[in-house]
Amino acid sequence: MLPILGRTLILLALLTASAGAIVGFATGLKPSPSGWRWTRILAYAFAACMLLASLTMEYALLTHDFSVGYVAHVGSRSVPTWVSIVSLWSSLEGSILFWGLVLGIYIAAATSRNANKYPEYMPYAVGVWLACGAFFSFLLAGPAQPFATVLKPPLDGPGPNALLQNHYLMVIHPPFLYSGYVGMTIPFGLACAALLVGRLGNDFIRPLRNFLLLSWIFLTIAIVLGGWWAYEVLGWGGYWAWDPVENASFLPWLTATAAVHSALLVERKGVLKGWTVILVLATYLLTILGTFMTRSGVFNSVHSFSQSAIGPTILVFLAAALLFSLVLLALRIDRLSPEGRLETGPSRDLFFLIQNLLLVLFTFTVLLGTVFPLVVEAVKGVQMSVGRPYFDKMSVPIGVALLFVMGVGPALPWGRASAQQLRRAWLLPLGTAAVLLAAGLTLGVRNPWTLLALFFGGFTAHVTLSEMFLPVRQRMRAHQEGFFEAFRQAQSRGQRRLGAYVAHFGAILIITAIAVSSTMGISKEVQLKPGESATLGAYELTFAGVEQVVEPHRVSTRAHLDITKNGRSLGALYPSMNQYENQREPVGSPAVHTSLTEDLYLSVHNIDSERDGLLALVNPMVCWIWIATAIIALGGLLALVPSLRGSTAAARIPDSAPAVIQGAKG
Amino acid sequence: MSEATSNTAPARINRNVLIGGAVVAFPLLAVLIANLGRDPHAVRSPLIGRPAPSFSLVPVGGGAPVTLEALRGKTVILNFWATWCVPCFQEHAALIEASRSLSGVKFFGVIYEDAEAKTREFIAQRGSGYPSLMDPEGRAAIAYGVFGVPETFFIDGNGRIVEKYVGPLDGSTILALAARAKDGVR
Repeated sequence: MLPILGRTLILLALLTASAGAIVGFATGLKPSPSGWRWTRILAYAFAACMLLASLTMEYALLTHDFSVGYVAHVGSRSVPTWVSIVSLWSSLEGSILFWGLVLGIYIAAATSRNANKYPEYMPYAVGVWLACGAFFSFLLAGPAQPFATVLKPPLDGPGPNALLQNHYLMVIHPPFLYSGYVGMTIPFGLACAALLVGRLGNDFIRPLRNFLLLSWIFLTIAIVLGGWWAYEVLGWGGYWAWDPVENASFLPWLTATAAVHSALLVERKGVLKGWTVILVLATYLLTILGTFMTRSGVFNSVHSFSQSAIGPTILVFLAAALLFSLVLLALRIDRLSPEGRLETGPSRDLFFLIQNLLLVLFTFTVLLGTVFPLVVEAVKGVQMSVGRPYFDKMSVPIGVALLFVMGVGPALPWGRASAQQLRRAWLLPLGTAAVLLAAGLTLGVRNPWTLLALFFGGFTAHVTLSEMFLPVRQRMRAHQEGFFEAFRQAQSRGQRRLGAYVAHFGAILIITAIAVSSTMGISKEVQLKPGESATLGAYELTFAGVEQVVEPHRVSTRAHLDITKNGRSLGALYPSMNQYENQREPVGSPAVHTSLTEDLYLSVHNIDSERDGLLALVNPMVCWIWIATAIIALGGLLALVPSLRGSTAAARIPDSAPAVIQGAKG
Repeated sequence: MSEATSNTAPARINRNVLIGGAVVAFPLLAVLIANLGRDPHAVRSPLIGRPAPSFSLVPVGGGAPVTLEALRGKTVILNFWATWCVPCFQEHAALIEASRSLSGVKFFGVIYEDAEAKTREFIAQRGSGYPSLMDPEGRAAIAYGVFGVPETFFIDGNGRIVEKYVGPLDGSTILALAARAKDGVR
């Protein structure tokens, strides 16, 4: 029964999305109120079909209805209820259904928010969204069918991938990732609409920027959650391995970050319109490329789904979307004529541009490193891996340069700066930079790139904080207000600006933390018999013995290690090997003792009652990567909320902000 | 305004964008298409097409050493395995069945990092259709470049490695690869 219901809903989704796309484009070409009304109805109908189909699947998973193909594939009676619920996105077909659900929600939200605005653009935008929706419905109807009927349903299923069950982060990482990934469809549709209409003004950039920023926040959190998961689960001691699938999420993030910044120049100065549109289009195409990379089986990765027939289908869609974007851009980009002039002297404008170019360079670097092994394999038939050395070598200079630009840009005024302005703006931050550099040197940092990161980090942090509190100081002086009152007033008047600097502050923190943690860690491999101890830095680990923990869906063999630091007890850590029901190989679970300054990271690679083979690492500042991400996300939200509340407040702020800045500097 | 004029302006193609985009997009698509259907887990061993390293190993339970030279003229399937390896016992039944149905093909197990007593117990419980050879210092495993079990080598009558398979085998894969080994290295 459920398979038929599910398949019917998928077919209805395909039907409504295809019809909606056609009606949307037709209405865009020949506007009419009834056409727009039908476009909206079909968009909501598509969202409803996806929602109902997902609910049907959840019901099937929770009731263990093994007549549904996907449930027979990933369901199991022996797993806890929460695992059954999240099984929706644990495997290939379900994850595409979940994609459809998220897309449906986004389309419905973006349509209803703008139902009475931008009448020229919106039918095209909804048309593009629904065309994308039609493709994913087609995937669900054919190549990746989650609702296939199982003629002889098994009594029990194998359960989802053990790695998914191993850590709660795997429960929240995919929803964030999909909200980021799928969300990029909305700015893509809006940018296509701007091209189709042939105009991108100060008004229409706003919904584009808002949905871009929203998806960007989700994607930022998702990428770091993915790294956190790798850190807490995979047991090799790091959080980022330049794995193709990690790169798949990082590539659109880079272009989206560039687009978030260039959209500001479109909004403020009416320049870089075509460039911004290219970035938004590229971001969407990179999400589809990423989807292909994770689901085609072409890339070898710890994260990827198994090989499947849907790879070619996604590739066809990618090719079609690429061709559509290219032709559309070539035909229409010249119509997005600039309304102002980009200042090319030493100015904030210029550093916006440099930052954008650095991010695009970064994108190409990562893309090349990801695809290069495939090129070699196709041409020479040998397998090779570009691996970490390439990525590390390339990304460190770009990362440090971005840190530099992030400090210098905001220290300059919009428009050309005078030499005196430059001196005044740079003197104090340079002092802070020198202090941080000296602190690094005394703490034993010798890696030149880490030192450079500390230096620029100090400079940029000074600029960021002083820009963040500049309006507050001015209010305190001008209105004789106390700090908190002035902060509240300034914050409510310039929340977008504040949000941007909060996000920048998080970015400085994360770059510094990555630089320190990846160059200043220590590690050791040890073999311990019960009662033996090993020392690592200030830590002493004593192997107390092996314990077995039996849970319904897994058996854990864990090493009991008593930890002391400088002679003071920190309690016990239990790195373990987990053997899951119905899974072939055991999955290791590292144990981490986290503090603000450093983590002690323990991971077992072989364990029995007589000995414990252990990888132990001390990773400094890793905790700050997670904290910094929260700060970046908070900054993004601060920048997003005022423009969501109403366009009036957002419209005024960009005009008042430069006056404030120039007033202070001049 | 400028917007109105730009809307009425005749459509002009921006060649830079078109060419620049095509230069990035088409090679990328070509590479992805060329790699479609490739299994990244299929590892090409540099030994394929080369003479198989020789060995002289004593079967589990004792007896005369088995050497590759003595097997010249016959197709040989060499399966590296261990009792502690779960995928190995998944493929165990398929290998026994294939060893019975394939005439003229010699099957050998090579024990990888495991004790003889445990191996003997495993064979007593689960049966075997062919000898397994002890490789006490792992010399054969090193010579064949084994980095995990199970790994299976298909060797033709001239003593050349035709195929290497990583991971558990199933019946039809064994038959297909054995047939290729019978044809020999082309």
